Amino acid sequence: MEAITGWWDDYFFASIVVLKIFMASLLLMVIFGLIGAAAKLSNSIIAKKIANAYTIIFRGTPEILVVLLIYFGSAIALTSLFQLFDPSIKYVDVPPFWAGTFAIALIVGSYATETFRGAFLGVEPGSIEAARALGLSNLQTFVYIRIPEMWRIALPSFGNHMLSLVKDTALISIIGLNELLFVAEQATATTGKPFTMFIVVGLIYLGISTVITLFVMGLEAYGRSHLRAAK
Amino acid sequence: MNILNKKLLISLAALMLTVVSPASAEKLRVGMECTYAPFNFKTADGVLSGYDVDVSKGVAEILGLELEYVCQKWDGMIPALLANKFDLIIASMSITDKRKKKIDFSGPYRDSVGQMVARKDLGRDLFDSAGKPDPAAFKGIKVGLERATTYSDWFEQTLPSAKVVLYDSNEALYLDLMNGRTDVIMTNPMKAHLKFLSKDGNDGFELAGPVIDDVDYFGVGVGIGLRQGQEELRDNLTGALKTLIKNGSLKEYALKYFPFQIHNDKWAD
Repeated sequence: MEAITGWWDDYFFASIVVLKIFMASLLLMVIFGLIGAAAKLSNSIIAKKIANAYTIIFRGTPEILVVLLIYFGSAIALTSLFQLFDPSIKYVDVPPFWAGTFAIALIVGSYATETFRGAFLGVEPGSIEAARALGLSNLQTFVYIRIPEMWRIALPSFGNHMLSLVKDTALISIIGLNELLFVAEQATATTGKPFTMFIVVGLIYLGISTVITLFVMGLEAYGRSHLRAAK
Repeated sequence: MNILNKKLLISLAALMLTVVSPASAEKLRVGMECTYAPFNFKTADGVLSGYDVDVSKGVAEILGLELEYVCQKWDGMIPALLANKFDLIIASMSITDKRKKKIDFSGPYRDSVGQMVARKDLGRDLFDSAGKPDPAAFKGIKVGLERATTYSDWFEQTLPSAKVVLYDSNEALYLDLMNGRTDVIMTNPMKAHLKFLSKDGNDGFELAGPVIDDVDYFGVGVGIGLRQGQEELRDNLTGALKTLIKNGSLKEYALKYFPFQIHNDKWAD
């Protein structure tokens, strides 16, 4: 274990990077998922078709491919686009952090789309009818009836999506972001101790995902509290 | 588009993108793996070091360039260069015809050669006084080689009299040489030094004979990669590398990591 001395700070900063990607991609993932679910449940055929294409493409292609395509593809596409307006621009670069965050949010967002769609469909029709009978507006029904019922249904799968996001951050090392796996590879190159270096990465990921699992368990218990009180 | 939207879009672009206009062209970005010791790697202090890094700094000093390093995995190295993620590859990349179809290379700065490693008590002169391998001396000698490598090709063509034993990995070569199942192996001298000769308990073995640099088999060597259509930059890089060979810098860089130089002095001509 002494080989690891001197690398702790690198692991620490890389963990911060992983947490930052997780936070940013979690936010984007929820947005993509909600937009996707709204489109799938809407009456517009075009919106439905687009949302279907989105879930089919991103659930059906290897995640590492999406990361690479967005990183390299966006740079080439944006450069040609910007050069249309100003030919003197040499290149436009999307940093690995944003390219990677965007990529994994798109991927996990496609799964979240289905989760949210299912959860909205799972809201008791009786609750909606009761809200209508009470004279609640559409917005009030959405905020007070649909959302509180829906998140309880979506939570278990949503917890899985959060774990997927955390683990997908490891993919971003392929586009050169200085995250945990990358630090482990650098440390291995210098120390020649791959097992030690990668075990540390495993433990850090396990630590982060355990916190998330506990958090989701707590939320689930909170979501069930009205049932427990009835005992 | 109203003004607020435009402002929002611009600030979003500023947050996420780097748009580079020609004004900042003096800065060149260098792509390397950062995990390939001792050529390009990060030490525990986070300092980028190695032979490739030294070469890049030497070249930058001669040409008056400012460098910025980008760590990139090997598989994406050429795509990243082509997508303008960086401007130069200084990552121990061998110059090959296949790669030359996509990118340009400067002249070589590190050789790609083979050399034999033998037991010190072998008691035979495998090479004649001119440094050519002597087919008669290889009779009855068991030679360990990696399967389907340039070294095994070279051996089959040049020294068919030797008894060749083929292995699947570089590590297996050293193990059987130590166990006495083979008398001689041929591999890359840098690998042999790093993985075998420099390790404790292997003092009974040595590099035998001269470096074998048959370009037809082993290629020209390692060069600096750049996007095509930049002839001036390419020639400047080659010129700077030649200067580094002439003033002894390349040798100095190599001696930090190896007991021998890893370039060919003829490249400076």
